[in-house]
Formats: sequence, structure tokens, C-alpha cells
Amino acid sequence: MQRDSVQNTFKVAILLCLVCSVIVSSLAVGLRSTQLEQKQTFRQQNILTAAGLWNAEADSAADAKRLFESSIKAVVVDLETNKETNKFEVGDPRIDPKAATSDASMHTLVTELGDGVRDIASLRRREHYATIYEVRNGGELQTLVIPIRGYGLWSTLWGFIALDVSAADKGPEAITVKGLSYYQHGETPGLGGEVENPLWKAKWPGKKIFDADWNVEVEVSKTATTDYQVDAISGATITSNGVTAMLQFWLGEYGFGPYLKRISASAPKTSTDVDSDPGESA
Amino acid sequence: MADKSAKEVLFDPLISTNPITLLVLGLCSALAVTVKLETSLVMSLAVTIVTGCSGAAIGLIHRHIPNNIRIIVQMTVIASLVIAVDQFLQAYAFTVSQKLSVFVGLIITNCIVMGRAEAFAMQNGPWMSFLDGIGNGLGYSLILIMVGFVRELFGSGKLLGYTILKPVTDGGWYPTNGLLLISPSAFVLIGLIIWAIRTLKPEQVGKS
Repeated sequence: MQRDSVQNTFKVAILLCLVCSVIVSSLAVGLRSTQLEQKQTFRQQNILTAAGLWNAEADSAADAKRLFESSIKAVVVDLETNKETNKFEVGDPRIDPKAATSDASMHTLVTELGDGVRDIASLRRREHYATIYEVRNGGELQTLVIPIRGYGLWSTLWGFIALDVSAADKGPEAITVKGLSYYQHGETPGLGGEVENPLWKAKWPGKKIFDADWNVEVEVSKTATTDYQVDAISGATITSNGVTAMLQFWLGEYGFGPYLKRISASAPKTSTDVDSDPGESA
Repeated sequence: MADKSAKEVLFDPLISTNPITLLVLGLCSALAVTVKLETSLVMSLAVTIVTGCSGAAIGLIHRHIPNNIRIIVQMTVIASLVIAVDQFLQAYAFTVSQKLSVFVGLIITNCIVMGRAEAFAMQNGPWMSFLDGIGNGLGYSLILIMVGFVRELFGSGKLLGYTILKPVTDGGWYPTNGLLLISPSAFVLIGLIIWAIRTLKPEQVGKS
């Protein structure tokens, strides 16, 4: 029978693969810009969620852009000097974390950031510049939304933690979590994927982060009892540990810790170019 | 099977040869996405489109498919369609596609799609295969929507996100049924539906 011949088998297989790959790739390319737009809105929605400005019941995706533009200001921070910088505009593609970690001039290997630094969040590379988001009320800084990422079980989790810094002048123990939100990850749905669960996210607001000496004490714990501990997700120990590790890194000495220290020391803050106190830089 | 009319091909899978209740296929996704009516609807639509189009595509080329690679040919066609649906969802229904997470991708392995391609589209022309695919997709949808309706209404007191029965936790009167929010409840509901259909149509009861 002709249709079962070797030639025909190859012919059908090759033709089918060609037709299918053309269809799939043209769709992927054609829909890309719309998908990116959706991702961007989703990211903004996550920043708003972390900052406690998002009402999942009442607000729709269309509100995200308006709310974001009216209440949030993005600032680029230089993680080497721990100050705001004008070297790069907000939204510059070069400081996008994914681009920066593949451009040798824009990142440092985590293990080379200092003596004996351990790469607890499995980042491998840390970018030099990061975009953070400020929420101000009458000019006074209320909330800082900080990007965090780190490895869980299967994937890097990308998210934001919002810190209530309105009382930061009272010292490190007065800084509390306002919210936590993840916008991209590949953890198991139903287990590690529960980092997206609103019930789990609701456990974060009000938690303390630093002890009196600026050590990061906040952690995800199986037996959460103190103000620094949040209940772990059952069935997702490694994802939970990943969340702890990324918070320890990004809020610690080689993440945004020194920047927060500076903000706390210079509060109440009136302008964005306040110099740090001598001896305060870590 | 070849001498069925178009109408029978389209409507038989709704009740009398329903893929979920008669063949008990496609249960995995039926359990996973029916917590809310919205995700059930989107999943139903996605599966119906994929079964319909894969039926049409395979029906169109079934005379040319060599027998020894027919399964992989079907898989390729189905997988391409699923990727297409997934791309469209990510572009135009982002939040829903987040909620459906892996289950859109898993339509590829949904036994209903493969089953119809192998059992029907390999012997029939594109038009009939398309109708058969749509019919089976609708049969799947019918069960999904019924289960999704019950689970969302009695599990969280809402329908499509709008509060119908005000739950006690929000100061209302309705004590929500937590069992319905977890996947095993879909087993119970589908079991009840199968029971009801087999009581009405005793010819579906398997021989023991």
C-alpha cells in the first residue's frame, strides 16, 4: 500500500512538522506584543497588591495602569552605592534583571560580592541596578516595594515585597511587611504554587523583618510563633525555604539592606538626594 | 458508525455517548478546573475548540497518514492546536490562563481528544470529524459546567465571582461547604451525574 511506504511516511512526517511549526511560531510571534502588555499589567497589579493598594474584588485589570501611575513612583537604585541614581531611566531595558544578569558589565557574581558570601537564594548573579517602587503620602515615604527573586523547587520565583517604612526613623524593628506577591514562577500548582494563594499572602502584613542590629530575622517557619515568622506552606518545604532565602538575601547586606538602613537614618526624608551619614554605609 | 447522520454525530456525545459519564475520560482536568464556573467555561471552550479542530485536521488528511506513525501525527496536530489556544489565552485572557496554569497544556494528554482522533477522525471526512469533535467537546463542557456551577455556588456562595448566597464569613447566612472546594468533591458530583444518566438510560450500564 502506497501510503504505508517508507517514502510516504517521511513525506507526511516532514510536511506535517513544517506546517505545524509555521503555525505555532507565527502565532507566538504575532501575539507576543499583546502577551507582553498583559504581563506588564500583571506585574503592575502585583506591585499594587504587595503595597496593599489593590482590591482583588473590586478592581479590574483595566484599573491597574491608572492606579499604578497615580500612586506609585519607580526609582532606580544603585546596589553598589546604595543610593538612588539617574544613570539609568526607569524602564531602561539594560537594567531589566534578566538583561542585566546576562551582561557582564551589569552584574556581579553573588559569591564575589564580599568575603565568604553564600549564594543562599541560588541567584548566581546580582545586578548592579534595581528598580524599586515608592508610595508616598503628601511627600512622605510610606511604602517601599522591593523586587525579590530566588530559587524554589523547580524554578526561580519572581515577586515583590512591600515594606511599611513610615516609621523607619524609629529603627529597624519598626519596619514591617506590608505585603508579598509573586508574579512568575514554575512551582507545582497546589503545593509550591500556593505562594499565590491570597490566604497565605494574608499572613505577611505586619510581620517584622529586622532585629535591632539590622539582621534579617523574617522567615517562613513550620511552627510560626514570633512576629518574625510566617507559617510555611504544607507540602512545599523547599519552596518555603526558597522564600526565606530570597528574603534573607534581598533584604540583607548584599541586597537592599544598606539602602533601607540609609533611608531609616535619614528619615524623615524630604528629597531624594540626601547623603548618608558618615560611617553609615555598610 | 459510518452511517450516522450529522445531527447524531453532533448531539449523541452530549448525553448518550458522553465522554466523561459513559467513557469516564478526561477526569483529571474535570476535577482540577471546576472550583469556579469561570475556569470551567474557559476550559470547556478550549477543549471544544481543540477537539473540533483536531478532528477536522485529522479528518482532512486521514487518507494520507501512514498507519505506523498515526498516533504521533495525531499528537503533533493536537499539540500544535493546544499551543495555539494557550498563546491566545495568554494574550487575551491572562488572568484566566494563570488560573488554569498547567491544565491548558495538559489538554494534549486529555484522553478525549486523542480518543476521538483515533476512533472517529481516522475513519471519517473533515466535516463529520469536526462535528464529532465539537459534539464531544460539548459533552465534556456540559459536565464541567454542571460540576463548576454546583461547586462554586455551594462551595463559595458565588457564581462567576458574583455573590449569590452570602457566606457566614462575610456576615451573611450561608455556611459554605468546604468539601466542594477541594478536588475530591468533583468525583462525588460526577458520580451522581453518572448515576442519574444510567438510571434514565439503563443500556449504558456495563455488563458485570
